[in-house]
Amino acid sequence: MSLFGTTSGFGTSGTSMFGSTSTDNHNPMKDIEVTSSPDDSIGCLSFSPPTLPGNFLIAGSWANDVRCWEVQDSGQTIPKAQQMHTGPVLDVCWSDDGSKVFTASCDKTAKMWDLNSNQAIQIAQHDAPVKTIHWIKAPNYSCVMTGSWDKTLKFWDTRSSNPMMVLQLPERCYCADVIYPMAVVATAERGLIVYQLENQPSEFRRIESPLKHQHRCVAIFKDKQNKPTGFALGSIEGRVAIHYINPPNPAKDNFTFKCHRSNGTNTSAPQDIYAVNGIAFHPVHGTLATVGSDGRFSFWDKDARTKLKTSEQLDQPISACCFNHNGNIFAYASSYDWSKGHEFYNPQKKNYIFLRNAAEELKPRNKK
Amino acid sequence: MTICQFFLQGRCRFGDRCWNEHPGAGGAGGGRQQQPSGSNRRGWNTTSQRYSCVIQPSSFSKSTPWGGSRDQEKPSFGSFDSGASTSRNRGFGLSQNPFASPSSDGQKDEKKLLEGIIKDMEIWESSGQWMFSVYSPMKKKPNISGFTDISPEELRLEYHNFLTSNNLQSYLNSLQQLINQWRNRINELKNLNTSTTIALLSDIKDGVNQAAPAFGFGSTQAVTFGSPGFPVNNRSSANAQNFSFKPSSGFASAPSGSPSVFGNPPAFGAASSASSAITTSAPTFAFGKPAVTSAASFSFKTPAASGFGSPGFSGFPASMAAGSFGAPGAPAFGSGSSVAGFGSLGSHSHTAFSKSSGNTFGNSSISTSLPVSNGSTTTDNDLFTPKDQLTGEELEQFQSKKFTLGKIPLKPPPTELLNI
Repeated sequence: MSLFGTTSGFGTSGTSMFGSTSTDNHNPMKDIEVTSSPDDSIGCLSFSPPTLPGNFLIAGSWANDVRCWEVQDSGQTIPKAQQMHTGPVLDVCWSDDGSKVFTASCDKTAKMWDLNSNQAIQIAQHDAPVKTIHWIKAPNYSCVMTGSWDKTLKFWDTRSSNPMMVLQLPERCYCADVIYPMAVVATAERGLIVYQLENQPSEFRRIESPLKHQHRCVAIFKDKQNKPTGFALGSIEGRVAIHYINPPNPAKDNFTFKCHRSNGTNTSAPQDIYAVNGIAFHPVHGTLATVGSDGRFSFWDKDARTKLKTSEQLDQPISACCFNHNGNIFAYASSYDWSKGHEFYNPQKKNYIFLRNAAEELKPRNKK
Repeated sequence: MTICQFFLQGRCRFGDRCWNEHPGAGGAGGGRQQQPSGSNRRGWNTTSQRYSCVIQPSSFSKSTPWGGSRDQEKPSFGSFDSGASTSRNRGFGLSQNPFASPSSDGQKDEKKLLEGIIKDMEIWESSGQWMFSVYSPMKKKPNISGFTDISPEELRLEYHNFLTSNNLQSYLNSLQQLINQWRNRINELKNLNTSTTIALLSDIKDGVNQAAPAFGFGSTQAVTFGSPGFPVNNRSSANAQNFSFKPSSGFASAPSGSPSVFGNPPAFGAASSASSAITTSAPTFAFGKPAVTSAASFSFKTPAASGFGSPGFSGFPASMAAGSFGAPGAPAFGSGSSVAGFGSLGSHSHTAFSKSSGNTFGNSSISTSLPVSNGSTTTDNDLFTPKDQLTGEELEQFQSKKFTLGKIPLKPPPTELLNI
């Protein structure tokens, strides 16, 4: 069948196709490189939902553009289309039927991109850059949820220019995730709010942050019955917290673990600590992947509480990651995330998106 | 079964999984609902032991693989929450004397907290991690003042904006200012002199006394809360919501200052989290019972319907209208059923808690003072007894530094005596 389903094949074909030299460390994992990658840092990645046959990847970048590729089973990536904003694109998401892509940008707007007609119209307006955008499909309503640095969470019916609902956030929205009927928003000043989306979105609980530093990324995970049951929260301090919403034993079930640090578990020597830029859960196995400013990605099994794999170090931070709908492809973007300020920004440096076969490596460890 | 020596020392890394007996914790798993009224230990401290032993495995298994499977050799996650967070548990776990006075525990906690902060600052400086982030010394504590949260994207956007307006120099200047501010604050915290220490501790302490929901509101202010949650202090609108939450968290935010009050949860059947003062369980168990009245209006009442993973306090969200924590506070206690519910619970656990300081105040305030205060008009009277209603002995108890066993007042303290 497709090569994406098998374990072998990519490593070797990757090298022969792209032939990176040994000194150049931009692709140490020898993963598939997406063709015509964006010209500036990639802020967000998103794969198409299962309703669309095939795999389509969307990436938003700081070059103000959103690009779409078709990813074929052979590993070939074909650039399909592109749309522009007037500011850097911070988040992208798909509608559930795979016909529309929603993009959120620093130009304080969010747009809906109809892929069939290749037209994009504005559907949302905020007073500050829109940091997160998610599509909500409920039995009795559908809408787009946008979180912004203007401390509001707005819900938009794409046909109207007025939001269906506006919820106040305690602080600027830094990251969010939605798996119906649950939504999690992490804000500045270590704010953390869980929303329930049944009937209409409303605040469910404000949670004290399990982390000590700034929140950077969040991802919801599901339980064995495929219901959202908790979330993973990453911070700038190389740490991820796994938090269940209603655990039988919170003190034992919730935990945090360190990641993206330079010295492993050796706590005596000073470590370099890197931010966790993105967290993504494998849709089938329930294991998770984290990507960090250190230029590595790691796979973890949160139930067995073990690390499954850590990659080699890329020469740039990894700024975003995403799984495709069946978990066979893991996409990660290698581009500068501003973690060291403007001095380390090199506009000439090429930005990459890599695709990796994720079917085997993310299988959970069997608990003894 | 043999008694587990490590557990007695407060460092059993297997916790529940341990094959040896953990005295005091053995009853925790099964008997969570009941408070053994005839137990030899003071009700509160049994609870604290219960929780501290649950926390311990994670906080002490620093270099060992997660104790889930003893023979596991696979690479495991790095240490869990070492550093400052263990200090708190150490305070409870290692003190063999269940009658240890709260003040010395508090001092130990403080010291550990400060040490933790210093260590964290050193790590922050040396590790090259992102500077512009808020910081809190332990999870579930408020942020320390002096640090601002700026995400890398915000900073980058600023850079690009200044670049396009050809004003890069002012960007660099403000950046330098921010960096200097950060550095100064870090140095301040690393070299704690008395004034910064006092400010720091008040930052943290005020947050400690805060009931859980206050945290969410407090974060609207970039700095600390200052208000321990009693309506006496009038800070931002946050207080309004804090106050309306009062009835249910009457026992959650006792002015005693010690987190011991949260030992109540098991009595109410709420499998709430640890003994830390600020827990989300505070609202949870408060609404767990009276949820009957308010859940009906909310589609969340059955776990199945809610779609969230495991069933739990699904009745709880009744209180969560958009942003407001206070809403059902009043009705929940206004309706006869819920008062009765608490009344009966209060009396059930009354004997067990009557010995522990501070708790009885909380519990019985619900069961006894509410029916009384329903007749009164001012909201203050719902929670606090006017001074004239207290007997001389009760007044004396309130005025002293600690409650004496057997003389603990059953009524809540008068507003006048509260130290905010």
